[in-house]
Amino acid sequence: MKTDDLIDALAAGLQPAPPARLNALLLACAAAASVAAVAILLGVRPALAEVLSSPTTWMKGLYTTGLAGAALWLGARAGRPGADTRGPLTALAAVVGLAMLWGAVELLTLPGSERLADWLGRTWTVCGRNILLVSAAAVIPTFLSARALAPTRPAFSGFALGVATGAIAATAYGVLHCPESSAAFVATWYTIGIALAGVIGAVAGRFALRW
Amino acid sequence: MDREAELKGLMLRGLEGDPVAWRMLLTQLRGALTPYFRRRLSGLEADAEDLVQDCLIAIHAKRATYDRSMAFTAWAYAIARYKLIDHFRRQGRRADVPLEDAAVLTAEHSVEDGVVRRDLSKVLSILPMRQRRLIEDVRIGGFSLAEAAARNGCTEGAAKVSVHRSMKALSASVTSHED
Repeated sequence: MKTDDLIDALAAGLQPAPPARLNALLLACAAAASVAAVAILLGVRPALAEVLSSPTTWMKGLYTTGLAGAALWLGARAGRPGADTRGPLTALAAVVGLAMLWGAVELLTLPGSERLADWLGRTWTVCGRNILLVSAAAVIPTFLSARALAPTRPAFSGFALGVATGAIAATAYGVLHCPESSAAFVATWYTIGIALAGVIGAVAGRFALRW
Repeated sequence: MDREAELKGLMLRGLEGDPVAWRMLLTQLRGALTPYFRRRLSGLEADAEDLVQDCLIAIHAKRATYDRSMAFTAWAYAIARYKLIDHFRRQGRRADVPLEDAAVLTAEHSVEDGVVRRDLSKVLSILPMRQRRLIEDVRIGGFSLAEAAARNGCTEGAAKVSVHRSMKALSASVTSHED
């Protein structure tokens, strides 16, 4: 096709284009899929009402929700060609930094003999794996939510969406299943699980996010 | 800067669904993209033309990702660079495309390549500073003789003579190098 003809064809029948965004409906699907995956594959904690009213559950949820928010912001920015991503990157680093600071302060205020137990909890060996398991259920809608965007660095965008997936999954996991309540535990093992989801997302993004 | 404002204006009208503005924008972009890709594909004309078309389609299909608060050139350049990298990857070549200033896309002159610029300053270095500034303004900067004269504080006639002498000196020096 001649380039002139192409231009004519593209201009003919042009529709107004409202700004492209992440698809909120698909992100809601990712959250729902995470909740379903925790309920079916891992099981919901007994006495959920009690769990939900405890402040530590909310703090866990706040951390992972904050991570999800920052990562989605990063994913949305990275999907706009030429846009500056320093703002959302700083926000992401700040959320992780705050959680780590809090975890460190918690450990330092504990007597030395209790520190290791506080840090490792009872489930440190399965925490990251479980977050990845739940992420597997949430990853497809999360990546699809960015379809209208145009990531010019697919691996970087994949990382952002991977972290978002991991953080959404970790929110469902942390509130509904995970029995741990220490800040040091969450700041370490949740962060590792979510970071792994980000790395997998980066690798997948190189292929899945090309356009 | 004028060009940025002009393209951005067309883009905004295109986003509202104005096909005339959109056609103008794509035509202008085609003019900018063709030399951009040609230079980076070292003479593979057919590939460059394919890439121009690819890029125009991408700009059309992804126009909603343009953020009105951003520079239009930066957005279009990022898409062009992405398409170039993607093209190299598909050919199995290592994609090593340096991140340049987005203005390369709309620079009419082909002097923004580092090598060319270095050669040029080497050639120009034989001229006295005043003559050099004048010739840079007229032949590279795109100023008219009158504007260049005003910028350098001389009359238009003097500027004309100076540029003429410079061109003579430059072509003499280049010829003697080639011998």
